Amino acid sequence: MTAKDHTCDVLIIGSGATGSISALVLAQAGLDVVCLEQGNWIERKEYAHLNYDWAWQRQTNWNPDVNNRNHPDDYPVDSDSSQVLMWNGVGGSTNVYGAIWPRYRPSDFRKGDEHGLQPNWPITYEDIAPYYDRVDRLLGTSGLAGDPAQPAREPCPTGPLPFTKSAQRLSKAFDELGWHWWPAEAGVVSEDYDGRPACNGCGMCNGCPRGSMTIYAQSIWPKALKAGAKLQTHARVLRVETGPDGRATGAVWKNRITGAEERTRARVVIVAANGVGTPRLLLASDNLANSSDMVGRNLLHHTLVSAQIWVDEQVDGQVGYAASVISREFAETDVSRGFVNGFNFNCLTSAPSAGELTSGWLSGTKAPWGADHHNWFEGHFGHSIGLFAIGDDLPNPENRVYLDHDRTDEDGTPITKMHYEPGENDRRMMNYMLDRLQDVGQAAGAFDIKLQDYRDANGIYRTPAWHMIGTCRMGDDPETSVVNGWHQSWDVPNMFIMDGSVLATGGVVNPTPTISALALRAAEHIRDNFADLTNTTKTVAV
Amino acid sequence: MTDTIQAINSPTLSQALAAFVNELLPGNAEWPSGATLGIQHPMLERLVAQNDENALLGLAQSLETIGAPFAGLDAKARATAVEEMETSEPNRFQWLRIAAYQAYYENPAIVALIDARGTPYKLRPHVQGYDQPKFDLATQTPKHGRGSWTRISDVKPVDISGLNLDTKITTKWGLQR
Repeated sequence: MTAKDHTCDVLIIGSGATGSISALVLAQAGLDVVCLEQGNWIERKEYAHLNYDWAWQRQTNWNPDVNNRNHPDDYPVDSDSSQVLMWNGVGGSTNVYGAIWPRYRPSDFRKGDEHGLQPNWPITYEDIAPYYDRVDRLLGTSGLAGDPAQPAREPCPTGPLPFTKSAQRLSKAFDELGWHWWPAEAGVVSEDYDGRPACNGCGMCNGCPRGSMTIYAQSIWPKALKAGAKLQTHARVLRVETGPDGRATGAVWKNRITGAEERTRARVVIVAANGVGTPRLLLASDNLANSSDMVGRNLLHHTLVSAQIWVDEQVDGQVGYAASVISREFAETDVSRGFVNGFNFNCLTSAPSAGELTSGWLSGTKAPWGADHHNWFEGHFGHSIGLFAIGDDLPNPENRVYLDHDRTDEDGTPITKMHYEPGENDRRMMNYMLDRLQDVGQAAGAFDIKLQDYRDANGIYRTPAWHMIGTCRMGDDPETSVVNGWHQSWDVPNMFIMDGSVLATGGVVNPTPTISALALRAAEHIRDNFADLTNTTKTVAV
Repeated sequence: MTDTIQAINSPTLSQALAAFVNELLPGNAEWPSGATLGIQHPMLERLVAQNDENALLGLAQSLETIGAPFAGLDAKARATAVEEMETSEPNRFQWLRIAAYQAYYENPAIVALIDARGTPYKLRPHVQGYDQPKFDLATQTPKHGRGSWTRISDVKPVDISGLNLDTKITTKWGLQR
């Protein structure tokens, strides 16, 4: 028995990037929108950034890995491999992300045609391109249009961020190699925009209490609330409910303040709980929307390896926005490399704190202890540059989020488990990526290059998995996908999945820009078809 | 008195840890040592915060095992003692090492010293940020002209028969490649 029973037009589960955009669009249309968020608001002064021990806090209570912090808003995730990086609270993981803001490429949507080891998307790049631009305008994305390695785009609402010394050094290295590079686009405003102050180059780019970085709790939610959306915090959804016609009727949730169970009924339900939370909830809701058996499967993280290099020049990598340049030289498939798909270089500045640099935060390379420590520090701090190589991993149904029905959490929900292991194509790609990172380091004239493969002492790949995608993928076939091209569940026609779990392929980029553009597109579809969606009993292909 | 309380109250724990951090971060003419800055104190607080008071007992025992605070030992013998913990208790040692580095470099005196030496560095950089020149469109816009992308209409099937992804297994990968 539930303590309270509410009814609304649209129930949104999860208040992160996609939940907030959905709330904004639908509330502006005059719909009665309720969003349930298991966590809390974060006040600006709560962030680690404003404290002298911010670097320590980033490794402890502000650690983005749910298993390396002890936070009451989290639910347990038992991963046998990947680190599980997310934040549960208003704004979701944007509270701690880095806001690197590249877009997918057209070919990312046609891997089925290209090699058949991934599915085609049911939509194209051209379908979402206008939404990329509109999201950028909404958020004030910074960057430089004109990249010959990407389709044309509108000018970024705010211009490129300062071209750091690290960026300058790396751009020369890419020039020497004859490889593509371009200033990184960022979900960070480079000039005052929409009431937000321009980035001040502090370098602490895991969230941003001043709001220069796009933190959806600060950038989107105030607009959504002003439009009339209701946001209920401390509301952990236990299950989505359905009626005899197979339509979702709403959700039962635990009020984490009172401990009571409450029910919110809705005409349309949007699940936006991220690539782990969404499959977790559906599986816990009596295997909801899972006639395809694809819920939770095909977990993608991207292939990820990295390098840290040190150069004689003082490049002051502790200064400036975290990302410097991006190279799309290897973004497309070239089977002569021995694998399909491609990868990008996401080049960084460096660790923003001396403590992190000496502790091996970027590559595991720690400063020596003892008499040599200070000499090492003098030659390395301010001389370090970080580089990621991030590639398109292939789906594997055994890489997945699933439930352990033998164990439950404090709410009685089975414990969430996660397994990820790179496949043959991924391993070959990562070997190639590491060799190319070495090339970049040498071209940059580094006096030391340290590569990082994220494998532990037992060889297990423990990638820092910011990108948890693919676990409820979209498609045009109900037997191999969970939602259609409008994010609409094949099985539950008034339920939409609106987060990274719907991405059919990972591309070679950070996914938040694409997830946001997709959410804007899908939310407007719901808005424009709301009357039909309130009674439809069938989902059709796009 | 329990062992834990005894450990907490023991004057030798903070002394032993101070001696230990001075081996990790000794002072020289330009840089103060770890213990001079008192970094052993936040380290102890963080150890308890991450664990519980019982962790103090474990630390006290580990330090005692290697002879900290190293009374009467010369520099070589002290270093050997620290190496002993590094080998025999690698997890504890790495925690102490990282905690020491973090506490050292968040100390206001060290932050000021780094900045004074010519590397821009602030205790709380988020508050006022760092001065940076704006992006110069005239001189910093890439002019290399490199880069391309594939239009959807140009996506063609590639021949993957030679890749043998199912039969040719890569066993050495990553840093082992």
